[in-house]
Amino acid sequence: MMRSRRRAGAFALACLAILGGAALSCGRAPSTEVVFWEFWPAEIVQPLLDRFEHEHPGVHVRLEQLTWQSGQEKIAAAVGADHVPDLCEVGSTWMPRLLAGGKLAEWTSSVEDLRPELRGWSLCSIGDHAYGLPWVMGTRALFYNKTLFAKAGLDSTKPPETWDDLYAAAEAIQKLGGGVHGYGVQAGERYILFKKFMPFAWGNGGRILSDDQTAAVFDSPQNLAALEFYLKLRDVGLIEHQDELDRQFKDGRLGLEISGAWLFKSIPRDAPRLRYGVALVPRPDLEHGTHASFAGGEVLVGFKAAKQQAAALQLARFLVRADNALALSIAAKGVQPAAVAADTAAYYREHPAEQVMIQQFETAVPTPNHPAWGDMEAAIEDEIEQALLGKKTPRQALSDANQKLAQLVAKP
Amino acid sequence: MSRRVHSRATSWLLLAPWVVAFAVFGLYPFAFSLGASFTDYSPIHEGAPHFVGFANYAAALADPAFWSSLGTTAVFVVGSIPFTTALALALALAVQPAFRGRTLFRVGFFLPSVVSVVVLSLVFKGLYAADGTLNALLGALHLPTPSWLLDPHTALPAIMAMDVWSASGYYMVIFLAGLEAIPRELYEAAHLEGAGRWDAFAHITLPLLRPTLLFVLVVNTVRSLQIFAEVFVMTRGGPLHATTTVVYYLYEQAFYRFNLGYASAVAYLLFAVTLLLAWAQMKLVGRPTEGAA
Repeated sequence: MMRSRRRAGAFALACLAILGGAALSCGRAPSTEVVFWEFWPAEIVQPLLDRFEHEHPGVHVRLEQLTWQSGQEKIAAAVGADHVPDLCEVGSTWMPRLLAGGKLAEWTSSVEDLRPELRGWSLCSIGDHAYGLPWVMGTRALFYNKTLFAKAGLDSTKPPETWDDLYAAAEAIQKLGGGVHGYGVQAGERYILFKKFMPFAWGNGGRILSDDQTAAVFDSPQNLAALEFYLKLRDVGLIEHQDELDRQFKDGRLGLEISGAWLFKSIPRDAPRLRYGVALVPRPDLEHGTHASFAGGEVLVGFKAAKQQAAALQLARFLVRADNALALSIAAKGVQPAAVAADTAAYYREHPAEQVMIQQFETAVPTPNHPAWGDMEAAIEDEIEQALLGKKTPRQALSDANQKLAQLVAKP
Repeated sequence: MSRRVHSRATSWLLLAPWVVAFAVFGLYPFAFSLGASFTDYSPIHEGAPHFVGFANYAAALADPAFWSSLGTTAVFVVGSIPFTTALALALALAVQPAFRGRTLFRVGFFLPSVVSVVVLSLVFKGLYAADGTLNALLGALHLPTPSWLLDPHTALPAIMAMDVWSASGYYMVIFLAGLEAIPRELYEAAHLEGAGRWDAFAHITLPLLRPTLLFVLVVNTVRSLQIFAEVFVMTRGGPLHATTTVVYYLYEQAFYRFNLGYASAVAYLLFAVTLLLAWAQMKLVGRPTEGAA
C-alpha cells in the first residue's frame, strides 16, 4: 500500500514537471532557427553570429562548417535533394553553374540599397538581378622578395611596374644562381593556371567572350602578346605547382610570383624573417594596359527551397556589413571585405601590403557568368598548359582554345 | 515461442544494424545512381530529371575524354599491380622466417598502408618537387632531375611508384597469412628429396599460395581502378590530363560540372570493366578454394 502511494506520488510529480516544462516553453518567445553553411573556422565566424543573435532576439543561427575539400559535394547533394541550408557561403567560381541552375533565391529588391556599399556584384548577379550578396573578395597580386632584389642589384622599394620591368627583375634574380629562381610560373594543376595567365591577358586588353557572351574572342592579338610574354617568363623562372611556388617564395628562393592573400597568414607563421613586398600585377607598359588581375570572392546565397528565407537574408545583410566582414577578413586573412567602407579602416593603413590587394580590386576582372564557364575555364587551361609545356605554339594554343570556347558558347 | 524462432529473431536483431546501414549507405546509393545514369539528373537544376535511356552511356563511349581517362587508369593498373604484388610477396617471404627484429620490419612495411592517403600524397608531392628531396639526391649523383609531377611522361609513373610503395605492406600481411597456412611438412619433405629453395618456392609456395594471390590480384585491381585521392591531392588530373583517371574524371563531371546523370553512367561503365577484369583474373589465376584468404 505504502509502495503504491509512493509510486502514485512520483507519477504525479513527473506529470507536474512535464506540464510545467511545457508551460514554460509556451511562455518563451518563438525562436527562428537559421541554418548557415560556411567554410571559415567556427572560432572566427561564431563571434559574429553571437552578435547577430544579440541584435536579433528570437533568431538562432545553427552554424555548420564545410571543408574546402568536400564542401562543394555537400552543397550539390543538398541542392539536389532540396534539403538546403537557409544561408550558404559559395565560392565565386561555382556561381555561374548555380546561377544557371535556377535554384537560388532572387534578392534583387531586398538588397538594392546595398549596391553602392559593396563591390563584386557581378559575382552573384545576372544582369541587374542579384542572387546573393558579395561577402569577402579575393584577388591575386605580385609578391616579391626584397632581399633577393637587393642581392640582384635591384631597388627593392620599386617593384616592377611593367612587363619589361618584371622580366628584367626576374632575369637579374635568376642569374644569382644557387637554387634561386626569378619568377614562379604555375603549371600542372587545374583551376589555378587561369588565374595566373589571365591577369596578363586582361591587362593587355584581351578578353575571353564578347560583351553579350555570344562569341569567343580569345584568339586576339592582345591575348597572343600576353601569352608570348607569359611563356618568356619560363626562361627566367621556375615552373611548379602553386603550393610549391609559395613554399619556394617563403624559403627565400623565389624572387617574384603572382599569388594570393593567403600568404599574409602563412608568411608570418612559416617565414617570419622574410622581407617581401606586394605590388599590383605589372601592366604591358607605361603607355597602355592596366594592372589587371583575377577577381573572385565568397558570396552568400539563399535557396528557393529554404525554410527561413527572410531571416537568412537578414543574416546575410548583417554579415556583409563593413565591420563584420572586416572582422572576418582580419581574423582569416586571405580575403578582404566586399564592403567598400572597410577600405579606409585603420587596419589597412597599418598593413600596407594587404592594402595593395584592395587597390588591386579596382582593376581586377571577374570571370564571365556563363553557364558553361567550368568547361570554358578547363578549355583555356588545357591550351595554355599545352603552350607552357611546349606542345603547341602560342598562336595554335589560342586558336584551339578559341575553337573550344566557340563550341561551348554555341551550345544550347 | 520455440527456441529456434527465438534464436532466429536474435540473429536478425543482431544483424539489423549492419543490414540497415548496408541498405541505407550501400544499396540505396547503388540503386539511386543506377537510376540516375538513365536520366539527365543535375542536382543544381530546377525540375525533375528526364529519362534519357542509354544516352549517357552512349555519350561516355563517344567521349574521347572518357577513353583517355580509361587508358590512364589501365596504365595505372597494369603498371602498378605486378610491382605491388611482387614487392608484397617478396616482403612477406623476407619477414616470414623467425629472426631478431622481425616484428619491427613487419610493422615498418605495413605502416604506410595505415597512413592517410592524403598525408602520403602531400609528403610525396614535396618529395617530387623540382627542388625536392628526390631531385636533390639525383642531382648529387649527377643524374637528370625532371619535374616529376609537371611532365606528362613522368607524372603518372610518379604516382604509381608512390602507390606501389604504400600499398605493398598491406598485401604483404595477406601473403604472410597465406604463407603461414602452408604446412611445414611439405618443405621438410621437399628438403629431404633434395629440392632447393627455388624448387620449393616454385612447386610448393606458389601453387599453394594461389588462392591468396587471386585474392590480392582481385582486391588490388578493384582498388587501383578506383584510384582518386592521390590524383586529387598531387596533380588534379594534370599535367595535360596525364593523370586523369576514370574516377577523377567522373568526380569532375559530378561535382564540378554537376552532370550527375552522366557521371553515374561513367561509374557503371567502370563497374562493368571492374567485373570483367575480376572475372578474367579468376579464370586465369584459378578459382578460389574454400577457406582461402
